Amino acid sequence: MAGTATGVEPRAPANRLRNRLLTFGLLLPAGAWYLVMLVLPLVIILIYSFGVRARNGGYEPAFVFDNYARAISKADPFIESLQMSVMGTIGCLLVGLPLAYFLAMRAGRNKSTLLLLLVVPFWTSFLIRTYAWLIILGPNLGLAGQIESIFGVQDVQILGSSFAVLLGLVYGYLPLMVFPLYVTLERMDRTLIEASKDLGAGRWSTFRQVTLPITLPGLVTGSILVFIPMMGEYVIPELLGVGRTYLMGNALVTDFLEARNWPSGAARAVLLIIVMIVTVAGYLWFVNRGRRTRDVSVL
Amino acid sequence: MTERDIKDLLTQGPVSRRGFLAAAGLTGLSATIAACTGTGGAASDAPTAAPTAAPTAVPTAAAASGAVESAAPTVAPAPSYAVEDELIMYNWAEYISDENIKKFKAEYGLKKFQYDVFDNNDVLMAKLQGGASGYDVASPTMNYLPAMIESGFLQKLDMSRIPNMELINPVFRKQWWDPTEEYAVPKDYGTTGILYRSTLLPSVPTSWKEFYDLIKGEASGKTIFVKSRDDVFIFPLKMLGYSLNSVDPNELEQARQILLEVAPHLYGLDSNQYGQTMADGTASMALGWTGELGQSLKDTKDKGYVVPTEGTAFWLDTWVILADAPHPEASYAWLNFIHRPEIQGEETNFNLYATPNDAAKAYVKPAILADPAIFPSEEALKNLEGQEDTSDSTQRNDIWEEFQSKVGG
Amino acid sequence: MDRWAGLVEFYFRFHTVVVYAFLYLPIFVVVVFAFNGTERAITLWGGFSTKWFGIALEDEVVKTALANSFIVAIPNAILATVFGTMAALGLQRVGRKLKMTFDTLTYMSVIVPEIVIALSTLVLFATGFDFVRSTFGWKVNFGYPTIIAAHVLFNMSLVLLLVRARLSGMDRSLTEASADLFATPWRTFRQITFPQLLPAIVAGFLLSFTFSFDDFVITTFTSGPGSSTLPLFVFGQVRRGVTPETNAVATMMLAFTLLLLLVGQMILVWQARRQGRRSTAAMAGVIADT
Repeated sequence: MAGTATGVEPRAPANRLRNRLLTFGLLLPAGAWYLVMLVLPLVIILIYSFGVRARNGGYEPAFVFDNYARAISKADPFIESLQMSVMGTIGCLLVGLPLAYFLAMRAGRNKSTLLLLLVVPFWTSFLIRTYAWLIILGPNLGLAGQIESIFGVQDVQILGSSFAVLLGLVYGYLPLMVFPLYVTLERMDRTLIEASKDLGAGRWSTFRQVTLPITLPGLVTGSILVFIPMMGEYVIPELLGVGRTYLMGNALVTDFLEARNWPSGAARAVLLIIVMIVTVAGYLWFVNRGRRTRDVSVL
Repeated sequence: MTERDIKDLLTQGPVSRRGFLAAAGLTGLSATIAACTGTGGAASDAPTAAPTAAPTAVPTAAAASGAVESAAPTVAPAPSYAVEDELIMYNWAEYISDENIKKFKAEYGLKKFQYDVFDNNDVLMAKLQGGASGYDVASPTMNYLPAMIESGFLQKLDMSRIPNMELINPVFRKQWWDPTEEYAVPKDYGTTGILYRSTLLPSVPTSWKEFYDLIKGEASGKTIFVKSRDDVFIFPLKMLGYSLNSVDPNELEQARQILLEVAPHLYGLDSNQYGQTMADGTASMALGWTGELGQSLKDTKDKGYVVPTEGTAFWLDTWVILADAPHPEASYAWLNFIHRPEIQGEETNFNLYATPNDAAKAYVKPAILADPAIFPSEEALKNLEGQEDTSDSTQRNDIWEEFQSKVGG
Repeated sequence: MDRWAGLVEFYFRFHTVVVYAFLYLPIFVVVVFAFNGTERAITLWGGFSTKWFGIALEDEVVKTALANSFIVAIPNAILATVFGTMAALGLQRVGRKLKMTFDTLTYMSVIVPEIVIALSTLVLFATGFDFVRSTFGWKVNFGYPTIIAAHVLFNMSLVLLLVRARLSGMDRSLTEASADLFATPWRTFRQITFPQLLPAIVAGFLLSFTFSFDDFVITTFTSGPGSSTLPLFVFGQVRRGVTPETNAVATMMLAFTLLLLLVGQMILVWQARRQGRRSTAAMAGVIADT
């Protein structure tokens, strides 16, 4: 965690300058990109959030707080999104962790092929895949029909349920969970586990004391990468949820596109971003706190 | 027939003097010209080869000889003005016939016909509001026109360059969305109504009131609404006898009560697959559009569509030229070309939406023309009300949000 | 103990098979429906037919859209991978404050909902273009570069996070040893750091490509004339009903990818066999030495 971690210790002033330049050069493209493509758009959104809707929709300059008041008074979609995202993240974790473990530790030579096969389904257009899910879960050829005929029950409806939405979310975001986990697990030295076992540690304590700490960065990255975009998702609930779940993403689309009320949408977005940053920061702080003490104890 | 052909020739011909002469020179031929749709391919080399500076006689002769040689029924009028070699269209996917694109390209010598797609009007509007540009022609629905005109997104049209505008049924002309007829050319129209499957219902709904009773009764849990704010509002407002464009707080409050009352009884809100949901029997009724009848519900025998007696909305898609269109000449050429009767007839045969161009009906397949779901009956037409832009009504938006979060219980 | 281990092993294998089945089940349906002889609607089975393949192969709009998808996704994946990896390496060399700032930006780029970043980027570009047009008179407009620029933002953060997850806790003794042996930083990077980071870099590249290839929201609002990608075409079909044409495109792509994979796999096996022979020989040498 310390500053000069790459081990290239500055040995002379000339060297130090070169090092500085190198660091600067390494960070320049990403930094510039963030500045232009992220900070500036966010500034625009922030300015818009205090404006009013122009007569024909869009944005008109003003300085009012109405949009925020309105956004706060409509917290329902946010809460529903939060529930969905938490469940979706847990779902991804349950499905993704054993898979990532297998890919990293047991797949051997087929590792890269299996990894590629993991993303290939996602090269098929999202909408087409979702239509396929509609057929799979639907009443005619699909699952609901099968359940009806096997168990002799009537009117089994899977589409439109939270389960269907959750399934869609887990399906759609799985690679974002598996890849970070794989990347950290793949690095893990199997001898560590052997050593732990040799030292008489049980399966659980080996997992807790060896596997988990190593996996943690991947787990944190994965869950953030999955949790956050789920908060803004709106097509999956619209299709697999048959529009019965109204999430944050749907609310933003209603504001920006249907009502053409950019300031109102902007205010909602700003609030969402703030809440999410606080959540992520808190999560990271919580996770890192444990790690730092361990680091210290090792030193 | 003959008379109409002559009229077509005159009206579809270009208006500049040179062009008019070209058309006039051909009127003698019109008697021999059949009314069927032709390929028009013979004319392809004539206009392309005609540079602006060419003497009058050249394109005329070329076009005429082309027509005579192949006996091609479509006398393609040579463009009277130079057309750019490219046209950039921003439209729904597969909304115009590929055949017509080919013909247009050939006739006007376009090198490139760029067809970009959007998935709904709101996206088009948002892109224009954000400042996107570079497209020539788009086809927004009419209720978006006033806002687009006022925001300066559209080009003022010189209607004398679109003579085929005269073929449009007066019902669709000079209405509130373009009162002075300066910005848009009607494209096609349709209605919002009730789709149903008669065998799954005790009785077939004929009005919004019966629809309402069924939702709360036998069709509870089996009714779908399209996910479109303005279309959903038609049902309570028309049932109560108000304008579907109402923004009156009192009227909207009453509409809200009805919407919240039916929300738990709905199967869902969905504009993508409601036809399929009805086809497989999950839903027995829908508040929706006619398109699905010819698609997912094509083989469903007991399907039906009704324009409720209290009336409903019609929508009209329109052709517009965007303010900063990089290829205005080609855009004008397109707007006039697409409303030639035989070309427009092919459009309707292709996209199955009613054409506002009466002359084109002669080229529409009889089965399509006779389908009341595509071409509403005279009686149904009387009860139609055009949708207006009510996106600025906060109350409507609030109700719409509240309704959406209550759907399905 | 051993029986447990066997059971656990079995579970991992079983779980993996189930997940891949889960991932490919809809793809299987997509492929089956590509052979749907329906006149239009994808949801109705109209008998076996290959006609949609013909339609797809002749459809200029679809072909352009598919080409555009690649034109956007490949440069995006390259830029995102390079910039993200560079930044991850750079962040190891800076102080806490700068690192915190970067972290915040990285997470922020993931947090902002797609529709919000899409619209605000649209406004940003439009304003910028207006300025450029009026000041310099250059003809600038939306197109591939704007889509790529917008995609790179999210994907760069993705790569950055992946590479950092890999870097954190990476064995540094090797890098230090290398430096102690007076290897240049570049050489250390090439021979020590890069090979260790490779799985993360490959993973980042794959994810970036995948995201960009199938993105709809951001692409819609940052595309210009002539740069519509395949997802835009598919969503545009919704109003008239999605046809099996896209299934046919997807099926052809899938077949092509799987063919490439198969060839790659065969090359790998062949190489491994050669290397295996060599490494056995080397191992024998080592054993003989000791």
